[in-house]
Amino acid sequence: MIQVRDLNFTYRKSGKKVIHDMDFEIEEGEVFGFLGPSGAGKTTTQRLLIGLLKNYQGQIRVFDRERSKWGKDFYEQVGVAFDFPNLYTRLTARENLQLIGAYYRNRITDPEELLDMVGLLADKNVRVENFSKGMKMRLNFARSIMHNPQLMFFDEPTSGLDPVNAHTIKEIILNLKKQGKTIFLTTHNMTVAEQLCDRVAFIVEGKIAATGSPKALMIEHGKRVVKVEYRLNGKQVEQDFEMNDLGKNEAFLNVLKMAEIKTMHSAEATLEDIFIKITGKTLL
Amino acid sequence: MRLWNAIKADMLFQFKQGFYFVYVFVAVMYLVMLSFLPEKIFLIATPLIVFSDPSVLGLFFIGGIILLEKGQGVLTVLVVSPLRTSEYIIAKVLSLGFISVLAATAITFFSGYQQVNWFVMVASAMLTSAVFTFSGIMINAGCSTVNQYLLKTIPWMLLLTLPCIALVGFPGSWVFTAVPSVAALRLMLGAYWGIGWVEALLLIVYLAGVNFLLLKWAVRIFENKIVFQE
Repeated sequence: MIQVRDLNFTYRKSGKKVIHDMDFEIEEGEVFGFLGPSGAGKTTTQRLLIGLLKNYQGQIRVFDRERSKWGKDFYEQVGVAFDFPNLYTRLTARENLQLIGAYYRNRITDPEELLDMVGLLADKNVRVENFSKGMKMRLNFARSIMHNPQLMFFDEPTSGLDPVNAHTIKEIILNLKKQGKTIFLTTHNMTVAEQLCDRVAFIVEGKIAATGSPKALMIEHGKRVVKVEYRLNGKQVEQDFEMNDLGKNEAFLNVLKMAEIKTMHSAEATLEDIFIKITGKTLL
Repeated sequence: MRLWNAIKADMLFQFKQGFYFVYVFVAVMYLVMLSFLPEKIFLIATPLIVFSDPSVLGLFFIGGIILLEKGQGVLTVLVVSPLRTSEYIIAKVLSLGFISVLAATAITFFSGYQQVNWFVMVASAMLTSAVFTFSGIMINAGCSTVNQYLLKTIPWMLLLTLPCIALVGFPGSWVFTAVPSVAALRLMLGAYWGIGWVEALLLIVYLAGVNFLLLKWAVRIFENKIVFQE
């Protein structure tokens, strides 16, 4: 769906080079996470893929065609939700969807169905200026998928949402993935990335530091131990056991037999740990 | 279809932002003012008011509209939609032109001005509004605040309005008809004071051509400064 080769980009006004020799591919039906701290080049890369920046060096192929060769028809198949609400504030939620929806050739999803999906049906006739940030973000998100695009770009899709609404948006994204949609997601929220992405790329100072599936990265960079927290003879104990030959490990088997187990976990690394390990930087 | 939807969207936006209400108020104020003028001055003032109305509307309202759209982030959404830049701009020009024509018609009709060439008056209001709206779009593309816009608008306003003095008539003053605002005012005055069909047609064709070039120019500036902003 997307192939990026030797991508370099320099902002003309400032002369600052922000993307360096970037290479990656996104398969059709994949949820690809672009992770990195603010200023790492996530948004610039997204803007290059969407077509809001030109004069790049290298290759960006989207839908089997060089990005710079696409005209406005590109957006018939692409949905974009930015990380800030951009809505007609004097219009209602329903009017906002109808108004932008009228610019697409594809038949748009019924606005009421979309509003229901993001929990805004009861507020369909309320002016957006009276919405909270979370409500605006949900409406923003609904608008980005209303024309049934094949490729979607979501920038921090759960930003500003409470846990319940963040869960709703994540469920919708997983549902879109089931329908075979391709999703490019930029975030610095590692939990969101872990829950949604098939593959992630860590980006630092305009370069990709590592790429892989969250699960594979977490296992590769984790410790092969089982962490057990147990109570034995009135004492609280925490102990790590090597995973290799765990079934033959006498000490481990004794703990299982004799002790009262409180918790037991494998020790794969979190995406945040891996990010720090690989890049030496934190995410915020 | 997309262009028609964009025009409807703009009209809805302008209505909800209260632009139409402001316009009704302004038109009523003009009518009250005209009603107090002596006959001789009334005959001169009416076409001048009807001309200045779409100019000011085009130039200042378009600034407000684009700044509002920028502020609400809506421009970013339109940029990543299939709506073409040219359609976006034409929709703005036509929707504001529509209000201008409505206002011009209402002011002329309710003022009781006799013997108006309505076709020429409507064409002039529309073409004048378009010239000033295109100018407003080009000025606004690089602005992010109202103050910036107002500061940049003043020289343009002077550039477009001062040459209109040429219409008082002096040797060689016809040359100034090349300035779009002068051509537009000549056409507007003709609608009220009488104008030959050939002259009216030539002025209409000339202003339509100018507007076509302004559209091309506005699209280019808008894309460079707003769509592909670095």
